[in-house]
Amino acid sequence: MSCPGTPAPGTDPAVERYLAEIAAQLPGSRAARSGIVTELRSGLLDAMDAYCSAGLPLAAAVHAAISEFGDPAQVAAGFRTEIAAGLARRAAVAVLVTGPLVGTLWIVAAVASHVAPHWQWADLSPGLKVGVPLIAIAAAVTAGGALFGIAATGRLTRWLPALPCQAPAAAAVAGFGAVGADAVGLALLGVQLATAAGTLSPWPAAAAAAASVARLLFARRAARRCLTVRAGLT
Amino acid sequence: MRAETLKGHLNGILLAVLEPGPRHGYAIMEALRERSAGQVDLPTGTIYPALHRLERAGLVRASWSTVGGRRRRVYELTAAGRRALDTERSTWRDFSAAVTALLQPLPLAVSPQ
Repeated sequence: MSCPGTPAPGTDPAVERYLAEIAAQLPGSRAARSGIVTELRSGLLDAMDAYCSAGLPLAAAVHAAISEFGDPAQVAAGFRTEIAAGLARRAAVAVLVTGPLVGTLWIVAAVASHVAPHWQWADLSPGLKVGVPLIAIAAAVTAGGALFGIAATGRLTRWLPALPCQAPAAAAVAGFGAVGADAVGLALLGVQLATAAGTLSPWPAAAAAAASVARLLFARRAARRCLTVRAGLT
Repeated sequence: MRAETLKGHLNGILLAVLEPGPRHGYAIMEALRERSAGQVDLPTGTIYPALHRLERAGLVRASWSTVGGRRRRVYELTAAGRRALDTERSTWRDFSAAVTALLQPLPLAVSPQ
C-alpha cells in the first residue's frame, strides 16, 4: 500500500539525496549506476510504503526507510565490488576474444607479404626473430590474465573464494599484455616499412595495423579503468 | 543479528528466501525478517549487492518488472541456485550438529572420595 501523498519515484528530495550520495561513490558507466539507483529507489519507496502502512506519517516513513537502508558508504562499497567484477570480466573477455582475430590478420599480412616463404624460422628477418617471441610472451600473459579474470568473476565464483581485488588486477594484466603484443606487432611493421617496404602486401598489412591500433587503444583504456576500480576497493 | 554474525551464510539465506518464488529486493528483506522472527535485520541496502553477486554466480536470475509505475528488479532461483541451496542446507546441518554436540554441557565428573 502506498502512503497518502507518496511522492512519485525520483521526486522525494531526501531519497534522491541519499541515492545521489551512493551514486557519487560508484565507478563505471552511467547506465550501470542508473540501474543500481533505480533498483535502490524502488526498494526505498517500498520501505516507505511499509512504514506508512504501519502508521508512520510520510516524513517519518521517509526517514525510517533511509535509516533502514544503511550507511551510503557501506551500500556503495558492496556495489563497487560488483561493478569492478563486471568491468574486469568484460575487459578480460574482450582482450581474449580479439587476440586471435588480430593475430589472424597479422598472420594473413605476413603470409601475403612472404615474410617466411618456406615457413622456416631461418627465413625470418632479425627483427621478426626478436619480435615473434616477444609477441608470444605477451599473448601468453594476456591469455593467462584474461582467463583468471573470467574465472574469478563468473560462475566459477560458486566454488572459488571471493577475489574482489585480484579479478580487476588480472584483467589489467591481460589488457597491458594485449597492449604489449599489439605494440610489438606495430613496431615490427614499422621496421619492415623502413627496411623493405616493397615486400609488404599493403591491404592485409593495413588491415592488421588498423585492428592492432584499435585493440591497443581499447586494451590500454580497459586496463587503466580496471586499475582505477581496483584502487577504489582497497 | 549483525552482518558479521551472518558472514558466510548470507548466500544460503538469500537462496532459501527465494525458494518459494520470485521476489524483489525489499520483499526479500521483509521475508528475511519474517522468517527469522526479526532476528536477521541487516541494513537493507546491503542486500542488493549480495543479490547481484548471486546473479553473477548464476545462482539467481534477475529481470525488471514495472508495477504501479515502480520499476523493480525481481530475482528468482536458477536450477544451479536450487542445487547450491541443497548443498548449503546439508553443510549447515552437519556444521550445526557438530557445534551443538561440542557446546553440550558434559555431566560433571564425580570427584573421588
